[in-house]
Amino acid sequence: MSTPSTPKSNRMPVGSVQCDNTTLNLLKANDFVAKAIRDRLPEILVINVCSSPGSGKTTLMQETGKRLSDKLNLAVLVGDPETDRDAVRMKEVGINALQIVTGGMCHIEAQMILQALDHIDLTGVDLLFIENVGNLVCPAAFDLGEDIRVTVLASTEGDDKPKKYPRMFLTSELMVVSKADLLPYVPFSVEAVTQDAREVNPTIEVMAISSLKGDGMDQWCEWLLAKVAEKKAKLATA
Amino acid sequence: MHEISIVRSVFETLQEAYPDKFKRITKVQIEAGLLSNIQPILIQNAFEALIMEEPALAEIELEVLLLPIIAHCAVCDKDFEVKRHKFMCDCGTPSKNIVQGEELQISRIEFLEN
Repeated sequence: MSTPSTPKSNRMPVGSVQCDNTTLNLLKANDFVAKAIRDRLPEILVINVCSSPGSGKTTLMQETGKRLSDKLNLAVLVGDPETDRDAVRMKEVGINALQIVTGGMCHIEAQMILQALDHIDLTGVDLLFIENVGNLVCPAAFDLGEDIRVTVLASTEGDDKPKKYPRMFLTSELMVVSKADLLPYVPFSVEAVTQDAREVNPTIEVMAISSLKGDGMDQWCEWLLAKVAEKKAKLATA
Repeated sequence: MHEISIVRSVFETLQEAYPDKFKRITKVQIEAGLLSNIQPILIQNAFEALIMEEPALAEIELEVLLLPIIAHCAVCDKDFEVKRHKFMCDCGTPSKNIVQGEELQISRIEFLEN
């Protein structure tokens, strides 16, 4: 840094000092907006999909869109620090998608979702995916008004990740092991990663999927359909 | 990481909560749970960087307290500390009922009397 930081003076404060014990939540603004999003989308199941970069989130979205196109109406909000490449990829396969460019930011904040809702047509949509910025650290702290958080972990990333990023796995309902077709070629054990994840989150569900080859895709789509039905049933009884 | 925006929100929050005392604040204590992914040294560095933009904040001392992760065991009906990210009570029951550890909050301020 060119400018030296301002040194603190050592002088004692003049006059007497008082203390106030308080609780001022620093994520209050985000949580407030997240609630507004929940209130605005009572009929749509919102799933926040998190992972590291390159785990295959966009490919999973593309393949999910193709398989569920005649069963439900799906939309995707996709966040990246730069470019609209992911939204373009999804539109290419006919998915209603909108890119959120975070401008270098390492996570999506609720405010960005709320603003994006004004620019995407959600008429008749049953399921809204939020494809978060590839990062297992920061996105864990930001509630985006989602119903469910899903973490995708590629078989090429190693089976020791859950304990390294505990908050992400703690707050996820499902861990998708992606690129499952590569399991025979990489030192990755689904059993070991499941055990690691369940030491952080005892109730986390685990599903191994290959978006490209199709393994596990039926199970994933059934899971999604069941969750959409659950949300609609909840609305009907409310 | 987003330490700069956290430090900015510290001062925005204080300005909002203490409009009359804000200029007399000498020390701010932040509590960060171990699950908040906050590194005290990075917060301090972000604060030093912010002071370059806002010299008026230079006399404020910032302290970051890290809080351990505490979960509740339903079987023993007691709280236990989560160590090495093993969310399991000594009795062997897993639990994700977090009592403490996700906080990111201003817990205390010191200010000069008027």
